[in-house]
Amino acid sequence: MKRKLSLGLAVAACFIAGSAFAQKKTLVIGMGSADAGKLDPHLASTTPDKGLLNYIFNGLVRIKPGQASPDFIEPDLAESWTSNKDGTEWTFKIRAGVECHHGYGPFTAADAAYSITRASNKATSNYSGDFRAVDKVEAVDATTLKITLKNPVAGFLGYVSNINGGNMVCKKAAEEMGDGFGKKPVGTGPFEFAEYQPQQFVKLKAHKKYFRGAPQLEEITYRYIPADSSRDLAFQSGELDMIYGKQDQTWVDRTSKLPGVVVKAMEPGEMSALYLNVTSKPLDDIRVRQAIAHAIDRKAIVVFKGAGTSREAVSVVPSGYLGTDEKAPLYPYDVAKAKALLAEAGYKDGVTVKTIHTTLTGMQTLIEAVQAQLKKAGINLEIELVEHATFHAQIRKGLSPIVHYQAARFPVADVYLTQFYDSNSIVGKPTAITNFTFCDIADSEIRAARVEQDAAKQKMLWKTAQEKLVKNVCGIPIYEQLQLWAWKANLDLGYDLVGSLNLSPPITEKTRFKN
Amino acid sequence: MTAFLIRRLGFAVVTLFAVLTLVFVLVRIVPGDPAQVILGDQASQEAIMALREKLGLNRPIHAQYLTFISGALVGDWGTSMVTGRPVIQEVLNVLPWTIELTLISLVIGIVIGVPLGIAAAVKRNRFTDYAARIASLLGLSFPPFVSALLLLLGFAILLPWFPVISARSGSATAWFQSITLPAINLGLITAAYITRVTRSAMLEVLQEDYVRTARAKGVPINAVIIRHALRNALIPVITIVGLYLGILIGNSVLTEIVFSRPGLGKLIVGALNQRDYTMLQGMMVIYTLVVVVVNLATDIAYGVADPRVKLK
Repeated sequence: MKRKLSLGLAVAACFIAGSAFAQKKTLVIGMGSADAGKLDPHLASTTPDKGLLNYIFNGLVRIKPGQASPDFIEPDLAESWTSNKDGTEWTFKIRAGVECHHGYGPFTAADAAYSITRASNKATSNYSGDFRAVDKVEAVDATTLKITLKNPVAGFLGYVSNINGGNMVCKKAAEEMGDGFGKKPVGTGPFEFAEYQPQQFVKLKAHKKYFRGAPQLEEITYRYIPADSSRDLAFQSGELDMIYGKQDQTWVDRTSKLPGVVVKAMEPGEMSALYLNVTSKPLDDIRVRQAIAHAIDRKAIVVFKGAGTSREAVSVVPSGYLGTDEKAPLYPYDVAKAKALLAEAGYKDGVTVKTIHTTLTGMQTLIEAVQAQLKKAGINLEIELVEHATFHAQIRKGLSPIVHYQAARFPVADVYLTQFYDSNSIVGKPTAITNFTFCDIADSEIRAARVEQDAAKQKMLWKTAQEKLVKNVCGIPIYEQLQLWAWKANLDLGYDLVGSLNLSPPITEKTRFKN
Repeated sequence: MTAFLIRRLGFAVVTLFAVLTLVFVLVRIVPGDPAQVILGDQASQEAIMALREKLGLNRPIHAQYLTFISGALVGDWGTSMVTGRPVIQEVLNVLPWTIELTLISLVIGIVIGVPLGIAAAVKRNRFTDYAARIASLLGLSFPPFVSALLLLLGFAILLPWFPVISARSGSATAWFQSITLPAINLGLITAAYITRVTRSAMLEVLQEDYVRTARAKGVPINAVIIRHALRNALIPVITIVGLYLGILIGNSVLTEIVFSRPGLGKLIVGALNQRDYTMLQGMMVIYTLVVVVVNLATDIAYGVADPRVKLK
């Protein structure tokens, strides 16, 4: 037995030594989920699935790798594009010489047209709503794609970029596989799907004919490791090269101490905010809402969450989005003022408000900190803890007068304002998304900005909307949580990482291991 | 024997049916909407309603129930609402991993637990007994995920003998490396359990008249313990092991998660979190089947251990 074991060790040692000398060509990523979900870009809705699909697919345009803002939009499958004056007709010149994975042939304007039609179709896409304004999609010839819109759309290029419904699928493959497309997704990106092992990993192979050049890496193994501590240990033991971090400061402090490791807190920040139902008692009294806003100390929250991984929220739209009012008139921390407002509203001896809250750890610690802060102003926050899926179901029935929600969206103010504050999005309505506040006071500005073609006017409309929402205390922005990742220092991503819209660092054809 | 089997199978069918109905109702009582989980948090109410329609969740509850039961009868458990993959395939993908882990840890548990239990009983209230009792108490009260992390820290990081991701296959070495730590983790807990049961069963038997008689007529002590005492003490041990096997499959979930191994437990927890009704239903059918089969096997094992038990 002893001999067998030492033999095994010797074999393992040779293997480890061998791989240290040759240049490493396989990247192993550890993701914090139990298994793959839907690997169809038009259906995927979770961070782990979106991150993986990003390596497989392209958009017509893309946000420069490492950036998380539409300011950095650059050509992807389309080399160039033009639009008419009012932004309702878009013509894209599709790049020649792009090959689909697994020998599905060249990618042409017909594939692009098919893909957008597929993404607009409720039956085949979860992002059909993003393409509601699309009237017609035509492949004029092999390299020309024309999209006609019913009305102008703010930040339209964002919807045809390499995220969600903008991911371009290859027509022949998607038609052939139908519902099974998610079992073997076929795109045009630097890596192609190779293998799936349930609850273990997805393996991708380099797409040698990638139009930007053959990738430096030969293989990516995307491993599903739900336990934070196991992922950390496997990273420490060298079994993983890159990991999704546990989203808190202690993880950063601990992981930064490991030798040869890069830890990164990247954009976008997921903004934590309280959404107050302005039609429910006692929150229908603006003084009560103002008191709550005054009682929350954003600075203290950032100290609590960790200065390197979080920052104060600036408005009802997260910072850095196109149209964010970086100087929105948020209520300053002032306990005395909060108490005075409560007394004025007739709650001299304090007031009790309720929230239904998820048991998700990061969010739970935040609401408990908020609860402690509110206590000082005589506001008793009752927290009813429920499991995450229950939480999502109940807040969408309007059962929670105060909703704590944490989210990042496509970084254009319109998306956040529409989903959280347009009255069409009020929960319970057929058009509902995530307006838990029942506020409708900024509807006119939000809707006017959506179709405004003059950038300066559009910005003003968004600014007015944010001011109204802040002053009326529909939402109380608290802080923004950055995305935490770590990787081995000898991994060269091939670009400077500031952020990534799908919350995972892109792996491109240039990503490689340094010798 | 045949009559016994038929009767037991009849019971099994009734149990299965009751469990199916219960599961069908329970998953629907829990708040939470699979359509919402699938579409993510930016989905509009319209999209959610459309998906509910597509998934058949808007149909009357009795129609859904009939579809489910008739499907289950012919072995069709549908496809996962979340991933779209067939339930049976998802289960079969990970079942071997769970069976392998459960059986090996059970063997470890028996190999350690039975001798330790005997030793503790024979040396009652002496050092061996105290040591065994403390060890087994520790094993039972230690949360499996803590012991799992300690094993990983010790034997994958400090002494890098085993991988942290214990899910390798391909060669015998790889297999051995990836099963060892998880099996030890689960095996030690099982051993703790079996030690206690064996000890108390043996204590009882050792006080019986026939044991004293055997000793008095000069049978060597080891022969008395093995042939006279142990044989009779085994019945409760088998019962417990059988019951425990069912629990073990459920308990393996934490071990699976920490050691990053695929498995049934992980599948159930995932399906529960995502409100994957069809998946949960399919899993419960299989889980119930396993428990029923294990119980049947336990009953048959009685007959082997004790000739007086007739399987009628």
